[in-house]
Amino acid sequence: MPELRVRFADLSIGYEIHELARSVTREDVERYAGASGDRNPLHLDDDFARSVGFPGIIAHGMFTMGHLAHCLTDWLGDASALRRMNVQLRAPVFLGDVIVAGGRVKALDREARTAVLDVWVTVDRNGTVEYPIRRGEAEVRLPTE
Amino acid sequence: MPMNPALEGKTYPAVALTVDPERVARFRAAFGEERDVVPPTFATVAEWAVFPGIVEDAELALDFSRVVHAAQEYEWHRPFVEGETLTVRPRIASIREKGGHGFLTVETELTDADGTIVVLARATLIERGI
Repeated sequence: MPELRVRFADLSIGYEIHELARSVTREDVERYAGASGDRNPLHLDDDFARSVGFPGIIAHGMFTMGHLAHCLTDWLGDASALRRMNVQLRAPVFLGDVIVAGGRVKALDREARTAVLDVWVTVDRNGTVEYPIRRGEAEVRLPTE
Repeated sequence: MPMNPALEGKTYPAVALTVDPERVARFRAAFGEERDVVPPTFATVAEWAVFPGIVEDAELALDFSRVVHAAQEYEWHRPFVEGETLTVRPRIASIREKGGHGFLTVETELTDADGTIVVLARATLIERGI
């Protein structure tokens, strides 16, 4: 069984989790389309993606959110500690991008043993940082002190 | 042409979804998850099991070629268990128009064999430039 690695007492307001980076390839996007069932041509067909104003196919927003969730569960050690997450998908992710997920504790509830984190995913495009996910929010519950 | 706002609140038939170990393995591979867990966003598979029936609903009049995913929310009540079969129930939570775009929010409830909630999912899709 996965084991929870984070204790409530370890956390404080402003605590930052380790960022997690990954590259995004055509194979990654195709594999995610098959695994998720989201076969929107925007993610599979360059000609279609260009016809709606993108330079080529873009990654699924849920691929980006899935990477963010993976960053959180990797930190927590136990996926069941992740209770809630909401994100707005604000910028497209293109092939060749390196997406970086991160988060920072912004609220703690000692009684409920929950922490709320500000979470994000960034992409550095030639020195300009864009936010495919900005000001997302995640709630984790850490039953042990 | 904007979406039909009268469809707000419409429910669609529930479908059964098995947390298929082979599908879970593909999901793990997609995110480089090496541990023996079901990634929490596996919930997306359940949503895509019911979304086609909604986006292709002629009454809704949604042009799917203009759609991008704008926002997503998940509430996990417990982790998925590989091999279990869940009931997936979608409903249109809201239809809005703002700044020349249409916003469709679909709320999908995943319950287990006991009828207990496992995940609540809320997806907001934008229909661009209606």
